[in-house]
Amino acid sequence: MERTIAYVALFAALIAALGFMPRIDLVAGVPITLQSFGVMLAGTVLGARRGALAVLVFVGLIALGLPLLSGGANLWTVLYTPRIGYVIGFPVAAYVTGWLTERLTGLPLGAAAALASIGGGMMALYAIGIPVAAYMNEFTLQETAMGALAFLPGDLVKAGAAGLVTGQLARMRPGAVLSRTT
Amino acid sequence: MSEFSHGIELQFASVTLGGKPVLEDLTLRLTEARIGVLGRNGSGKTTLLRLMAGLIAPDRGQVRVDGVDPFRNRKATLAALGILFQNPDHQILFPTVEEELAFGLVQQGLTPEEAAGRVAALLVAEGRAHWAKVPVSTLSQGQRHYLCLMTVLLMQPRTILLDEPLAGLDLPTQARLARRFAALPQRLVTITHDPAVLAGADRVLWLEAGRIVADGPPGEVVPAFTAEMDLIGAQDADADLAG
Amino acid sequence: MLTPTSPVESPYSRWPAGVKLALVAGLGMVIGALSHVALLAMALALVWLTFLPVGRAEAARLPLRLRPLWPFILVIGGWHILRGTPDVGLAVILRMLIMVAAATLLLLTTRFDALLATFSTLFRPFERLGLPVERIALALAMAVRFIPVLSQRAADLALAWRARSARNPRHRLLTPLALSALDEAERSAEALRARSASV
Repeated sequence: MERTIAYVALFAALIAALGFMPRIDLVAGVPITLQSFGVMLAGTVLGARRGALAVLVFVGLIALGLPLLSGGANLWTVLYTPRIGYVIGFPVAAYVTGWLTERLTGLPLGAAAALASIGGGMMALYAIGIPVAAYMNEFTLQETAMGALAFLPGDLVKAGAAGLVTGQLARMRPGAVLSRTT
Repeated sequence: MSEFSHGIELQFASVTLGGKPVLEDLTLRLTEARIGVLGRNGSGKTTLLRLMAGLIAPDRGQVRVDGVDPFRNRKATLAALGILFQNPDHQILFPTVEEELAFGLVQQGLTPEEAAGRVAALLVAEGRAHWAKVPVSTLSQGQRHYLCLMTVLLMQPRTILLDEPLAGLDLPTQARLARRFAALPQRLVTITHDPAVLAGADRVLWLEAGRIVADGPPGEVVPAFTAEMDLIGAQDADADLAG
Repeated sequence: MLTPTSPVESPYSRWPAGVKLALVAGLGMVIGALSHVALLAMALALVWLTFLPVGRAEAARLPLRLRPLWPFILVIGGWHILRGTPDVGLAVILRMLIMVAAATLLLLTTRFDALLATFSTLFRPFERLGLPVERIALALAMAVRFIPVLSQRAADLALAWRARSARNPRHRLLTPLALSALDEAERSAEALRARSASV
């Protein structure tokens, strides 16, 4: 129990800390933020239940007004912006990512984690984020989905990075990658 | 408090970590007021501390603190024993001083209101009432050590385990903390690689490769330990890679 | 870094956090149902006026606080103009501005611990349904404690990188940062066990 609380709290803190990190230039000129990478990693490392809990704790922190979303926003300041759908989708994204990581046991962990991140951190996240953003902006689903295409390359790179980092963590701290140990 | 306190007992306790034996068949009965455990890095002394504190369970054998199993009976252990970690940053769990202080009291069964009252009283008694709402991240290293000691003392354990209590502190802070430790009514078990810290001890144990190699008053154990360390230091020991 | 606001003393500071929260949530529902641009513009003006009791300086600073929203305004407004629905675009943008302004006022006049207490009270009834409210509160507090620790770790890693490289640190810092989170988690699990009976 102590371990669950500690891992959940530390991954919520990690997702917040990633939001403070300077944006990384993926290809020159196209900045990507790392917060959704943190959400993927919560799933691939902690597994479905604990990963989703960690993201829920993060959402709890921004609901309390802490400016932890990248760019210094909190839940209330994104409430009526298109971002709200993605924030609501974060816990689900972590859950699906973790669920897939736990089940893709036939693959090496790094590959499984990258695929799971595409399934959870991208497909599940878009499935919630796009309709909500469309509703908020009064655009059609197609229009919003077209707009979301701009994030596709960055998110793919993040999913790849989540796979890579998960694989490295498993080699360095085998007991700490809870998605594959319990 | 001494009539309830029968100290720390180990019977044939062994700990294996990652397939390697770290502590082997330790049998000990610690009842003195000031006890030191001396050992090099990797001798198993931190594992011994974790074992005595009930943070880990022995693979074989038994551990008892004032008659209770510290791993299984957490509630009773909280009243029996507190630990001061070597690095305060590994001990502090909460964002503000008052939350950090109150947590252990609530775990001991106090209501949040009672705990808040005890915390406020302690901070006033220590002349640090203005610390209550301060974020722990703004405290200096010495202040964080002090906060950790307050946290442990507030829970009023009968025994306190100290892990390298003075390592990495500047000299005035070391002197202040050492004075504070010396005045405590509790039984203190100090774990260290530095024999100088154990000058006032009643009993010193020398731990090497998970076994006790010497056990007695500091006047006997410390000179033998120092001579051995000098001998090892003269060799080019750093070239060895730990397995 | 983590104080959302430095609460300004104002008449609103004495209002219970729960009341203010309910007002902001209520406002959100009302403007969600409104689509008339003039009404929404009036609502924005009203929210701006409610800043006055806090002080003229804060009221004057509101446009500055709303400035980070410009990319959304550009994209949403631009696309709605292109597809021939400029009034809908304006309504969407106004709703966004109203909510951000109202949320800013709430946080400007409410302390973090007051909001935390409100949330705990709000969720207390769910405890009977099996929601571990106390453990969640514990995890929230621990997360707040470790955010500056991990941010500092990220900054230190970037420095260590620059000390030995002319290029900007990139993805290679992510693994050591995540590793720090895992190690801190193990250590704080131990520290938690050292002081707790049965969490």
